[in-house]
Amino acid sequence: MRANNMIAMILAGGRGSRLHALTSKVAKPAVYFGGKYRIIDFPLSNCANSNIDIVGVLTQYESVLLNAYASQGIRWGLDTFDSGVYVLPPREKADSDLDVYRGTADAITQNIDFLDQYNPEYILVLSGDHIYKMNYEEMLRYHVSEKADVTIAVLEVDMKEASRFGIMNTDSEGRIVEFEEKPEHPKSNLASMGIYIFNWKLLRKELIEDAKDETSSHDFGKDIIPKLLEEHKRLYAFTYSGYWKDVGTIDSLWEANMDLLYKNEEINLNDSSWKIYTEDTSSLPQYISDTGEVIHSYINQGCVINGKVERSVLFTDVKIGKGAKVRDAVLMPGAEVGENAIVDRCIVAENVHIGAGCKAGDAKGEHIELISKNVKKERPKKTKVKRGNR
Amino acid sequence: MCDAFGVVIFSGTNVHIDGIEDYRSIGSISFLGRYRVIDIPLSNLTNSGIETIQLYVKNNPRSIIDHVGTGRHYNINSKRGSLDILFGNGKSLSEFYRSDIATFDYNRSAIENMSQKYVVVAANFMLYSIDYNDVIEEHIKTGADVTVLYKNVDNAKEAFINCDVLNLNKQKGVLSIDRNRGNFKNKNISMESYVMSKEIFLAMVDQAVNTSSLYWMRDILNDASTYLDIRGYQYKGYLAAINSFASYYRCNMELLNPRNRSRLFKEDWPIYTKTNDSSPTHYFSTGSATNSLVSNGCCIEGRVENSVIGRGCNIKKGAIVKNSIIFPGSVVGEDVSIDYTVIDKKVIISKVKEVNGTLDQPAYVKRDDRI
Repeated sequence: MRANNMIAMILAGGRGSRLHALTSKVAKPAVYFGGKYRIIDFPLSNCANSNIDIVGVLTQYESVLLNAYASQGIRWGLDTFDSGVYVLPPREKADSDLDVYRGTADAITQNIDFLDQYNPEYILVLSGDHIYKMNYEEMLRYHVSEKADVTIAVLEVDMKEASRFGIMNTDSEGRIVEFEEKPEHPKSNLASMGIYIFNWKLLRKELIEDAKDETSSHDFGKDIIPKLLEEHKRLYAFTYSGYWKDVGTIDSLWEANMDLLYKNEEINLNDSSWKIYTEDTSSLPQYISDTGEVIHSYINQGCVINGKVERSVLFTDVKIGKGAKVRDAVLMPGAEVGENAIVDRCIVAENVHIGAGCKAGDAKGEHIELISKNVKKERPKKTKVKRGNR
Repeated sequence: MCDAFGVVIFSGTNVHIDGIEDYRSIGSISFLGRYRVIDIPLSNLTNSGIETIQLYVKNNPRSIIDHVGTGRHYNINSKRGSLDILFGNGKSLSEFYRSDIATFDYNRSAIENMSQKYVVVAANFMLYSIDYNDVIEEHIKTGADVTVLYKNVDNAKEAFINCDVLNLNKQKGVLSIDRNRGNFKNKNISMESYVMSKEIFLAMVDQAVNTSSLYWMRDILNDASTYLDIRGYQYKGYLAAINSFASYYRCNMELLNPRNRSRLFKEDWPIYTKTNDSSPTHYFSTGSATNSLVSNGCCIEGRVENSVIGRGCNIKKGAIVKNSIIFPGSVVGEDVSIDYTVIDKKVIISKVKEVNGTLDQPAYVKRDDRI
């Protein structure tokens, strides 16, 4: 707050239902990525690195793990006297019953009292399920220099794919003149990243009005932004260039992990000037034994590798047995691959065991398989032989 | 939880690690890639529930302070416990006079103020895994005045040279304390770790000060073995003494073997260290590793064999690293081959294409060197 008078609010209620078993017990922002991280480490580390010291995390769907995880602000250095990570799930209030967050805007509306405590000049609204490195302070500088009411971060996407996104049409100065949600015939390729800076006074007023509007879906993209455009407020697009990924599906989660091997220049997590912080574990360094071999892979501490690993991402404490082959795979924390097992082109979920000699995944599969249950060898049924009494 | 505070003390005159020690105290030497030597004694104490610890340092305190900080990452409750870093009298004329006893005497009031009944003394250079609760329990049961940890070894001709050895009677009573000169195979190696009451600890300090200003704790315990009940406590697990360059190299290499490693790093006995927030290690399409421990944050484009690699090292294309220990942040340049070498922190090797030591005499490249 002291540095830039801006508070960040991270929308972390996403269910991520297309991630199937990975999100059956945790919200999407808590899903693992990149050998040691959870997705929410990215916006939280970006905040810490951008000198934002008050961060609200708005959780809803399966929030037990996420609440516990995000509340440990020390992981991102957000634990000094005037900083903190505040977990804000829906709550019962004196004048209203317990209600879910009905939309992205409603999640902020229900926490106006939290924001009023700090009375910031600006608020930064973020999504908790995107992977990218971004300096929000630069975006704020742009917001201030353009004397904007709202600044929306946009990404230049392939024109062919533009109809999948919320598209901003801007004038030559970068001012947004029109917003189209998933347009059939896009006029520009500037896709909204779901990252907004608002002047808090203005947004506060709009949110209170929106809450009263029964026809509204209480969503930033669908309701708040179109209304502000109607009112001729100054909305600006801030163009971000760099790695950005929304991992909505098993395929795209796998692909994003593989980007660490194939697009390392774009998403370098080893850059000491912009570190991504996460939970600390007391694991040993990774060990590759004399029967083990690692080629072209991304491997975290605690792994013990007795087999051959190629083109794969291995999270904390993954164990690979002797003679096993792991290729083009993502193995989440604590996964184990037994001796002589073969794992190809798949994601193996946390703590899942692939039994000795078993096969998992499909080298030629069109889609990436998610292995979320232990794989065991089917044994021929034993016929019970009773010992006869003599 | 035991009613004891911990004392981690710097090593005596029997410990010297050529080269490496010029830059830092033994405790803050990089160990097994991601650790520092001090992590092992500190984790033993905190895992035993001892959360009030005095860490005594002699020289070069910067790196040790930077590493241990408030002790939070060793699982010390910052409200109830503490990790205090204590120094000796800086005015002392020469290195000669800076014994553990002199430092304890200088910090006498800090020791007197401790509320716990017992003190557990641990040497910073001895690596082992023990639950001190068992030792304290035994200490109380036997009614001994001082309990000394030791291990019976049968390789004392080659290993543990210059370490203290205990001469014991059949009841494990300590008759005297000598040094291991490598004359015999079988010896009781003192782990320079003691359990005693705070009163006896302070009495030993006073006694030593009155006897000789060059006395160390081991010397006064040797004298006292005639009139106090000093007993050995036999430890049977993994033990290494980091007391010379050769033993430092050997210990790291020994721990490449998973069987040895699992005796020092036990599943329910975590070894804590300071996190560096490094990313996982990236093996490029030309990079590979075998029989090695590799820390996080490295970029491996070359080949690594039988080696221990610290955090954030770069092994460039065509480089071959064999039988070596590399400290954090060093770079092995393109087509450089190194064998039997210890490379200190932040070294860059690019011009010289070969650095070779031998098993008996590993080479050493000093900190921040460019070769």
